[in-house]
Amino acid sequence: METMNKLGRILLVEDDPKDVELTLTALEEYNLANEVIVARDGEEALDYLYSRGKFKTRSSDNPAVMLLDLKLPKVDGLEVLKQIKSEEKLRMIPVVVLTSSKEEKDMVASYKLGVNAYVVKPVDFHEFVNAIKELGVFWAVINEPPPGSVRK
Amino acid sequence: MARPKLRLQFAHSPVLRYGLAVASFAIALGLGLLAQRYGFHNVADPLFLFAIAITVWYAGIGPGTLTVALSGLADTYFFIEPIYSIYITRDDLPHFVIFVLFASLLTGFAAVRRRVEAELLQARDKLEIEVAERTQQASLLNLTHDSIFVRDMDFVITFWNLGAQELYGWTAEDAVGKHSQELLQTAFPAPLEDIHRELLRTGRWEGELKRTTADGMQVVVAGRWALRRDEQERPAAILETSNDITERKRREQEIESLNLELAKRSTELESINKELEAFAYSISHDLRAPLRHMAGFTELLQKKVSSVVDEKSNRYIAMILDSAKRMGNLIDDLLAFSRIGRAETQKTLFSLTQLVREALTEVRQDTEGRNIAWKIGALPDFYGDRSMLRLVLVNLISNAIKFTRTRPQAEIEIGCADGKSDDLVAFIRDNGVGFDMKYVNKLFGVFQRLHQSDEFEGTGIGLATVQRIIHRHGGKVWAEGAVDGGATFYFSAPKPRGHLWRP
Repeated sequence: METMNKLGRILLVEDDPKDVELTLTALEEYNLANEVIVARDGEEALDYLYSRGKFKTRSSDNPAVMLLDLKLPKVDGLEVLKQIKSEEKLRMIPVVVLTSSKEEKDMVASYKLGVNAYVVKPVDFHEFVNAIKELGVFWAVINEPPPGSVRK
Repeated sequence: MARPKLRLQFAHSPVLRYGLAVASFAIALGLGLLAQRYGFHNVADPLFLFAIAITVWYAGIGPGTLTVALSGLADTYFFIEPIYSIYITRDDLPHFVIFVLFASLLTGFAAVRRRVEAELLQARDKLEIEVAERTQQASLLNLTHDSIFVRDMDFVITFWNLGAQELYGWTAEDAVGKHSQELLQTAFPAPLEDIHRELLRTGRWEGELKRTTADGMQVVVAGRWALRRDEQERPAAILETSNDITERKRREQEIESLNLELAKRSTELESINKELEAFAYSISHDLRAPLRHMAGFTELLQKKVSSVVDEKSNRYIAMILDSAKRMGNLIDDLLAFSRIGRAETQKTLFSLTQLVREALTEVRQDTEGRNIAWKIGALPDFYGDRSMLRLVLVNLISNAIKFTRTRPQAEIEIGCADGKSDDLVAFIRDNGVGFDMKYVNKLFGVFQRLHQSDEFEGTGIGLATVQRIIHRHGGKVWAEGAVDGGATFYFSAPKPRGHLWRP
């Protein structure tokens, strides 16, 4: 499929397995789930990005988009975001905060750190699926990622 | 005092003074001539000298000189050979010269003595007047409630007024002559040497002094010192005016400790607020996630099994989804409610009529297909947070719309019950299902509902939000109603202060 070939790799940073499953289900529904890497906390996400730890041997290109939860064990989402945006070779990766928090201060902090989009996970499943689908389609398909990202 | 006054007066009239001169001279001449007639010679001179002395004494040097001149002339004319001429023989010249010289000397001495006495009298008068004035001043000083005392440079008290007696407990008799430091055991706010230095430099000093009264009580006084210097500009005495500020000090300390307490409380409150904020945040984040999972997986389940399970199972699944949705709404409302408590109010003056119009636009979709008779009266201007007040109106109006749903013809009235008080009172009245006044105190509680949710939907937070907003504006909310008899919701708020500053 044409779309399949152009699909970008998605890095999903999410600690809650249920959320991971729901998100993957939503992505699957639109055939967007074949190239999703899941990091379960901030540290793992950074390990992936820096190709260290268990991701030491990964291919060197960056993901087309990173879906980032804010409330994470070890290193929280805002800290991950801060590190990415202050690192020359990582700052071009589009980052979408995907969170339960509607709190204004989280939103403000994220935008100040240079987030590319901020999405509040809807409680309603239909809306949730829609949101994930639109995110996946936009960032992994429509958006032209910066040079150096994976695009199959 | 009357005697010297009379004498001075006598001496001040020129007619009387010169009259006295002429009269005393005439009497002396008369007596001299009389004595001569009876063969007594050499009596005239002493008589003239006597007259001169009397005149000088009582009438001063001018009339005295006149008497001397007259006496000299009369002496040569009547008593010195040749008699009845003013010619004086060489033999009698020394006699005459001595007489005149003696008379002049007498006049001079008498005049000097008289002047000295007059000065003495004057000085005495002045002194008496001063004493009288001082006495009056001292009794005036007793009228003041301030304590006033004077001490010399050796700390010996020389004056002590009634105020000082009232404040410290010692009478003037007790205090005068005592060492002020030993008596009052004063504690100074600065070293005494520094205070004295300032006093000598500027002539005054002010400060708080701690003292012990006669009955051993500690008092704090605000003391004002003034330095008195003598004629040689040497420091002579210190006058201290003071008033008791013990009570004021005590209150100040009380206020200070209350302020400290308040600061502590507000810090506590701040931390509680922070905790609440964290709590709201955690509700927002952590409560939503499991809810989303419940809804999400139930929906996935529904998709998978709806065609193979029976109708009852499908209904159960639908109910789970409905509950999850309802809980989501509750969380959202609760968060909005908690945000009102935390948000800053931004007060402006705005038209309530305009705001009602906006609120009506907002709830328009609830009125679709409904038959509602709106009656909107004249509304005043309102001073408060516009967006919060808008929320109040939207909540109350949509309640009115909701609870008149069962009426074929709904009537909703919005108006202002203008009392004479300082508060403006607005109301929203409907002819809906109303409520039992028995439960009126439950209306505004969080999660409190008076209707079953299959009758009228709702989270039970709307009226709690209304109340919280109105309370934050310094107003009140209350309601009147009857079962099936409609309801009226009132809210009050302080009127915009006067209409003076309105554009």
